Amino acid sequence: MSGNDINRRNFLKVMGWGGAGVALSGCDMPTTVTLEEGKETVVSYIMPEEYVIPGQGVYFASTCQQCSAGCGVHGRVREGRVLKLEGNTESPINTGKLCQMGQSGVQAHYNPDRIQKPMLRKGGALVEVTWEEAAAALADKTGKDSSLNGGRAAWLTGTVSGHQSVLLQAHLEALGSSRHYTHEVINNAVATQVNQDMFGEVQPTYHVTKAKVVLSFGADLVGTSMSPVHFSREHTKFRSAPRGVLIQVEPKMTLTGGNADLWIAAKPGSEGVLAMGIANELLAKHGLSGDALPGGLRDSIASYNTDKVVEITGVAKTKIVEVAKVLAERSPSLVLTGASTEAHEHGYQSVAAAMMLNVILGNIGKTITSSGEFPFPQLTAKRGDMKGLLAFAEHADKGEIDVAFFYGVNPVYTAPKFLNLEQKLDKIPFKVVLTQFYDETANRADLVLPLASALEDWGTHVPGYLPEDKIISMQQPLMEKLYKETHGLGDVLLSLLKMRKPEEYEGFADYYAFLREAFAAIPSDHKGGVGDEKFWMQALQFGVIPVNVAERSIKPTPIEADLPALKEDISYPFYLVPSAHLGLWDGRHANLPWLQEAPDQISKVVWGSWVEMHPKTAARLGVENGEFVRVESMQGSIEAPLYTHRGIHPNAVAVPLGQGHEEYGRYAKGRGVNPLKILNPVTDEKTGEPALYGTRVQVAKAPFDEKQKMVRFGGSETQVGRKLVASITADVFNRTEGA
Amino acid sequence: MSLQNILTNWSQYRKGHEQGGFHDYEHMWGMAVDLNKCIGCNACSVACYAENNLGIVGKDRFEKGQGMHWMRIERYWDEPNLAPGVSEEFPSRGASFLPMMCQQCNAATCEPVCPVAATYHTPDGLNAQVYNRCIGSRYCSNNCPYRLRYFNFYSYYDWSWPEPLNMQLNPDLSVRDKGVMEKCTFCVQRIRVAKDTARREDRKVADGDVYPACVQTCPTDALVFGDMLDPESSVTKLWKAHQVELGKTKQHKDNEELRGYRIFEGLNTDPCVMYLERVREVEV
Ligand code: SF4
Ligand code: SF4
Ligand code: SF4
Repeated sequence: MSGNDINRRNFLKVMGWGGAGVALSGCDMPTTVTLEEGKETVVSYIMPEEYVIPGQGVYFASTCQQCSAGCGVHGRVREGRVLKLEGNTESPINTGKLCQMGQSGVQAHYNPDRIQKPMLRKGGALVEVTWEEAAAALADKTGKDSSLNGGRAAWLTGTVSGHQSVLLQAHLEALGSSRHYTHEVINNAVATQVNQDMFGEVQPTYHVTKAKVVLSFGADLVGTSMSPVHFSREHTKFRSAPRGVLIQVEPKMTLTGGNADLWIAAKPGSEGVLAMGIANELLAKHGLSGDALPGGLRDSIASYNTDKVVEITGVAKTKIVEVAKVLAERSPSLVLTGASTEAHEHGYQSVAAAMMLNVILGNIGKTITSSGEFPFPQLTAKRGDMKGLLAFAEHADKGEIDVAFFYGVNPVYTAPKFLNLEQKLDKIPFKVVLTQFYDETANRADLVLPLASALEDWGTHVPGYLPEDKIISMQQPLMEKLYKETHGLGDVLLSLLKMRKPEEYEGFADYYAFLREAFAAIPSDHKGGVGDEKFWMQALQFGVIPVNVAERSIKPTPIEADLPALKEDISYPFYLVPSAHLGLWDGRHANLPWLQEAPDQISKVVWGSWVEMHPKTAARLGVENGEFVRVESMQGSIEAPLYTHRGIHPNAVAVPLGQGHEEYGRYAKGRGVNPLKILNPVTDEKTGEPALYGTRVQVAKAPFDEKQKMVRFGGSETQVGRKLVASITADVFNRTEGA
Repeated sequence: MSLQNILTNWSQYRKGHEQGGFHDYEHMWGMAVDLNKCIGCNACSVACYAENNLGIVGKDRFEKGQGMHWMRIERYWDEPNLAPGVSEEFPSRGASFLPMMCQQCNAATCEPVCPVAATYHTPDGLNAQVYNRCIGSRYCSNNCPYRLRYFNFYSYYDWSWPEPLNMQLNPDLSVRDKGVMEKCTFCVQRIRVAKDTARREDRKVADGDVYPACVQTCPTDALVFGDMLDPESSVTKLWKAHQVELGKTKQHKDNEELRGYRIFEGLNTDPCVMYLERVREVEV
């Protein structure tokens, strides 16, 4: 291989296109829309001044950063400010739609509690400094002439992808460090491991629309799992005549559960056993073939006779029989899992049991297909999990980290108490927090770098879940920065790189220049036959770059699920469900007033925390709706008002994620409680991922607290006989509206 | 209003739908809400906050029922008319979600009670609210059977839009202050833009020219909006397909299984919003 080839390869890697090269598919050049036509239209960022039409909105394409689903947005910009976000119709992720978090992106941008200047710790306190002073401190601690042993520098980030991820990896490489820890509370870590082991890839494509039945073990498809808007779109097609059946098994009703045809509450942690029981019914009573399964697994399935499963799961026999019957009769189907099944001590085993149903039911290749080989592995999403935070904390504790950078995470808020994170952070001499807001982690930083908002920044993103049509999604500024002394992630990374490898990065004036060069660096046969300039303009105009992937097929390797008996705990009789909902998410949106005032979809609570409990359980404990309860684990306790409803297993108590902030601005601070704090140190044995749903708690009545009282939307829980929501059966629906 | 007066002027009193008010409507904006598609996610509601400068009232005032959600998602736990076999212990058929926005009634009960005619019917078939004329009597909200009118009991400006949040405010419509009634307008500012554009281009407003904010963002396409006077519009076709007609107190359906209905139709309010029944599989 000639030296030139190597240089070329290295060049492609620097630019993020390293790896197998498969062509990007071309798209037609859009018809140019001129101002004279006076149309509201989608335009690219070029020459924005020309598009400032007094009194008229103009739309720019970008990517939503409110979660890692990567929905495309169209920002409505008028007189130089962004007013409203809509979905980008060109994006195959969300085809023109946004969820309520996406809609609230403008409130993260215009938030009154944004940090406007860098802050440096001096004599114990964080004080505002100029960017020059902040940069000097960074060079002093992390530059190539500093005394830093690069291998002892670390990044702790949320899910990152695209060229930001490329630069971040380059920074670590320049330091000589491999310490990139990724952390997300809401994750699919256990399921992706099972996918990897069973299907050979972490995230196959799920075809909800091709399934006649979806059996979901806690996958909040239209809510917090994977890609909220995308699967809501899929749900609509799934529910058109002939209408698909959704069966949801979970300890606490999620938004998806609220839309189920059949909602089943199994004993928390027993979902894997239920899957085995259904498998047994399918093999024994419906004559499905278990040939694809290893003999040991078939024996194991046979041992789960229905009566035994009833006893372990608490699910009625008729239900198990019916679910197996409908799965056997209506093929293909799709079996999926979510946090409530994954995040247990034996989560991996339960997920393996559930996914094995797809093999028995012949769903592989029909409703579960390979997502193919994404040609640019450097750009794909580096997924976060809880395990990443644990590893980071452990290494910090051992004194292995001298400099830590934080981006897209707020670990001081999300770390369970047992982790003792604050103390461990103290062992890191220099902590740099990149953030838009003064959160709990910024509060403990040595240097706070104020970030530009998602609507002011450049970037490329590869969504965490990619549907059949693969894309790279573009992020471009929708307006000028509100605050001069904030910078985008890409720009900060470039400055950091210049401090380590000036010869390689000095040439890039800013992240925009880097991206321009990166786009020019894609070999021309990847550009769909258009020139550099046109390719770039198309990317900005459409907001997405279609990517062709090499096809693959899945040959499943079923895993023998070994499901231990559930342990009883008399002193802590309940399972804690730290539930996530589309809204405050993992707490990152608690500072957005629209989302605080948006009622939780199930409980309808606003502006605070609550505890969900089955009315039967509440009656036994002698507590009533609105009264306060103390939820106590071995790690500590939290107190919040009670909301009773039947959509929860009597052995579970749910406390939503999102509140309980000690910092984070006027709308978030001092409101409610954070259930993550009282988690027990239990992990999924196989993957080491903390078992978020595995904490046992006891519950007792607590004194009323006027300040934290429960406020809910709506008076009546029932329609009191009025015809508000009328319902009919699927049978009738298919008859009248079937094709 | 003496009996004498009523008797003498009887012919001028409104005795049914489409009597009084406008007769030559330019448009008749209407909606259809498919409860088989709606998942209760609340995106529509937040989109409405963003589009229409809705204030944030905070926890205490929300508790008093002063939230300004022009679009709200009601959630019910009962299952009024589905097959038996549903367990009492759990809501086995999930929840029932109901998006509720101003029903834009053609025989709006809120209109005739306003002492200053701040709420009236437009030639577009819209139930409009003239903020400048409103004196805050709140008679209209008292008279709305759907409870879809929201009153500014306070000035919410400082808490809702501290700088620079105020930069997000939509300049196409006003920010309402204390003492004024407000409610869903079917995003009249968007309708206006579409009408102006059509006029400039010397054509009729076409189906799909206007998407209210809620309709535009709804991830499940549960909401369909359009002109009911346009026989080709999707909303007209949906109403037709489900045999729901404006101007009727009771619908006559050839097929009783068709899903369309209007809420509280029997009250004679003649709403411009049709709902399509929620669907559940009861074979499992
Ligand atoms: S699903 Fe995620 S990416 Fe999509 S609109 Fe919602 S927050 Fe944004
Ligand atoms: S956005 Fe659509 S699916 Fe979500 S609550 Fe509103 S109408 Fe229902
Ligand atoms: S039509 Fe417009 S004003 Fe009415 S609820 Fe929808 S978004 Fe709000």
